[in-house]
Amino acid sequence: MRRHRRVGLLATLAALALFGSACGTSSNNNGNQPAIGGTLTIDNESGALWQCDFNPYNGSVNGQSFGVLYEPLVYDNLLNDKKTNWLASDYTWSSDSKTLTFTIRSGVKWTDGQPFSADDVVFSFNLIKQHSELDLQSVWQVLDSVTKDSSGKVVMTFKQSAVPNFYQIAGQTAIVPQHIWSAFKDPVSQVVKDPVGTGPFTMSQCTGQNITFTRNPNYWQTGLPRLQTVTYPAFLDNDPANAFLATGQAQWGGQFIPNIDTYYVARDPQNNKYWFPPINNINIWFNTTIAPFNNKAVRQAIAYSIDRDSVSKKGEYGYEPPGNQTGVLSPTFDSWIDKAQADKYGYKFDPTKAAALLQQAGYTKGSSGIYQDASGKKLSFTIIDIAGYTDWVASVQVIQDNLKQVGIELKAQNLESNAYFDKLFTGNFQLAYGSLDTSPGPTPYYELRNTLHSGTTAPIGQTAAGDYGRYKNPAVDTLFDQFGATTDSAKQHDLIKQVEAIMLEDVPVIPVTEGVAWYQYSTKDFAGWPTPADPYAAPAPWNLPDWEVTLLHVYKKS
Amino acid sequence: MSYIARRLEFFVITVWAALTINFILPRIMPGNPGQAMLVRFHGRVSPQTIKALEVAFGINNNESIFQQYFEYLGNTLRGDFGTSLTFFPAPVGDIVKQGLPWTLGLVGMATIIAFALGTLIGMLSAWRRGGFLDAILPPAFIVISAFPYFWLGLLVLLVFAITLGWFPLGFAYDLSSSINLSWDFAGQVAWHGFLPALTIVITSIGGWILTMRNTMITTLAEDYVKMARAKGLSPVRIMFMYAGRNAILPNLTGFAMSLGFVISGAILVEIVFNYPGVGFTLLQAVHSEDFALMQTLFLLITIAVLVAVLAADFLTAWLDPRTREQA
Repeated sequence: MRRHRRVGLLATLAALALFGSACGTSSNNNGNQPAIGGTLTIDNESGALWQCDFNPYNGSVNGQSFGVLYEPLVYDNLLNDKKTNWLASDYTWSSDSKTLTFTIRSGVKWTDGQPFSADDVVFSFNLIKQHSELDLQSVWQVLDSVTKDSSGKVVMTFKQSAVPNFYQIAGQTAIVPQHIWSAFKDPVSQVVKDPVGTGPFTMSQCTGQNITFTRNPNYWQTGLPRLQTVTYPAFLDNDPANAFLATGQAQWGGQFIPNIDTYYVARDPQNNKYWFPPINNINIWFNTTIAPFNNKAVRQAIAYSIDRDSVSKKGEYGYEPPGNQTGVLSPTFDSWIDKAQADKYGYKFDPTKAAALLQQAGYTKGSSGIYQDASGKKLSFTIIDIAGYTDWVASVQVIQDNLKQVGIELKAQNLESNAYFDKLFTGNFQLAYGSLDTSPGPTPYYELRNTLHSGTTAPIGQTAAGDYGRYKNPAVDTLFDQFGATTDSAKQHDLIKQVEAIMLEDVPVIPVTEGVAWYQYSTKDFAGWPTPADPYAAPAPWNLPDWEVTLLHVYKKS
Repeated sequence: MSYIARRLEFFVITVWAALTINFILPRIMPGNPGQAMLVRFHGRVSPQTIKALEVAFGINNNESIFQQYFEYLGNTLRGDFGTSLTFFPAPVGDIVKQGLPWTLGLVGMATIIAFALGTLIGMLSAWRRGGFLDAILPPAFIVISAFPYFWLGLLVLLVFAITLGWFPLGFAYDLSSSINLSWDFAGQVAWHGFLPALTIVITSIGGWILTMRNTMITTLAEDYVKMARAKGLSPVRIMFMYAGRNAILPNLTGFAMSLGFVISGAILVEIVFNYPGVGFTLLQAVHSEDFALMQTLFLLITIAVLVAVLAADFLTAWLDPRTREQA
């Protein structure tokens, strides 16, 4: 099983980009501060050799640069939406939420010694405007202009109110140095061998099989980072990566490990730990443009026919918790869930209720035990999923079994991933098992909007960025648009609750399980890890730019 | 001389045919790289952008198939293999250059060792037929070669790398090293390469032993061997120069073929031992319909096989005078 990072990359020839990095120890080590030092090794199956390309705007290689080398304006924690000013020292929204003004932090230096300024920010945003291939987060779909005002602040204007887009703009867009990037003739195909950033580390060596990051002694957060070296080996497959982690050769994992308790934890129960916070939903998508999925009763009946607990236990080893029909992740976004409403519907495995719904909708049980409509057409469907994701295949088998007990026939079509995504994006399916392919965000808004907003979809046959089920509901669109225009948290919570009501009543998709951030860590030599009690960052090494924040907190035990 | 000229002529024609098939094959595969790329960009990029990229990659331009063909021939001859889609924007040449030395080194070395050792064991066990060596080694290795490579590799890894910790878990050299010319680095490469090479050798050696032993037995019954014995030549000389030299011929062609296929790497070896070779790259290229990368790798494989067979032909001509006499 390989998930959450469908990276396709490779390294180029073993050009060793030797990047000057003085390894001096920092001067301000007061008594309480842990000493600087240690070499931390990251363990995250990349599925390919490193390409040694440190272009933060190239989606297949940005996992090795965005965060530790290039930083965002504001760090927005994926797990709780807690915002920390980063390269911006302050920001304000205009009252109509259509203008966002950033004060740029002073005293920050690029790793080549040049000063960082507002011009770099303006340059970076306009660079990805000019080359839309680099605009990984599609920020220019809402942005109108990015300029520097007379007082040296960066002013962004929007085509519409775009409060939630703050996450993509301030939190997910890397800032690159103008003095280097302006010389690139074609930034899209530019291979960046010698990265210059503002981040806490510099890239000191890259080979196809390993990247070494070395502490940036002049980092703007004085005294940080406390790690001297971070090594990031490239793993082609899960097995060697898991073995490397289990034998203690790597200390920070973002791995799916079957039987983690015996394979990993048991080798050092004192120190080997894991935490899997949910970060997205794995859904059953209905193609709502075709019968009978345009019928709400059928969708509801199917939602009552799935034993989510058993899917989670049998299909996902219990590592990925069962989902809930509100579409809001639990426990990650518990404060957003309207528990009373969810309880009223009480979606759980309930064959009697499902049967009642089907009968009300005019379906009768045929001789084969499968429901059929008046014309004798059976409730028999095909669901697509990815053959390589063995956990999904197992989950679908559980669902097949559940539905069969109710009287609905489900056939699984396990596809190669390219074929699967092609069908998913173009709406060429009856049912689809899978998650949204866009990155999740720090509130339920992001995933729900991309799942339900008709603006993200496309006609059948064309590629949709979201809403693969082609669900159209003007009421839900309006709710999301209202959310986008308000900075008032209470109002935002209220709007999401209304969306949840639609999820519960209309069942446009069925969240079955919750995808998690795989995260393993060893406390043997290092401390300061993110934990459920202190979720200061999304904890997987492939959470960008959160991995930078983790690497700023972790230190070597003395 | 005419024998060599004929082989060369044949070689040139086959290379051309290989080039052409190599051009056609990816284009008759179902699906298209545009779709694959759309998937790669996770639907975040507009279809217009994809069109622009496609044109830039030369996969969706308005040229006729013939124009594309001649352009491809020209580029290939110049050594310009284009840009990889999978590893965009890295040029295909760079990707191949990075993985190829490791594949050649590991698989090539292992193949040579397996061949040399297998041939020697086969020769000795035929020489002392029914002896101790003959009773143990050939059956043992033939049984082992029937094991699935994946299973054997994982077993070796579990025992020697994870449990005993004698060898590293993977990679071609220490993580903290960079490629350099030093004894220390050479030592690392040997240390890291030991387990993968060992598994390749023990799984492939059985075939060499069997062929060599069987041909050797037939050869030993030949009159010229009896003649040599009658002349009172030393057994070692008879074994190597009379029987061995003749018995090796069929094995030699097989060896040349397998040397050629070395370039395709050993995908399983690379996965199990996390070795930075070219085989895994080929797998990825096929998955993502990366024409440029696929073509280059297939081409290299074909040419390597052809060159190896050509070399084997020359070698046979030298070892076996009869081939020179023909025609």
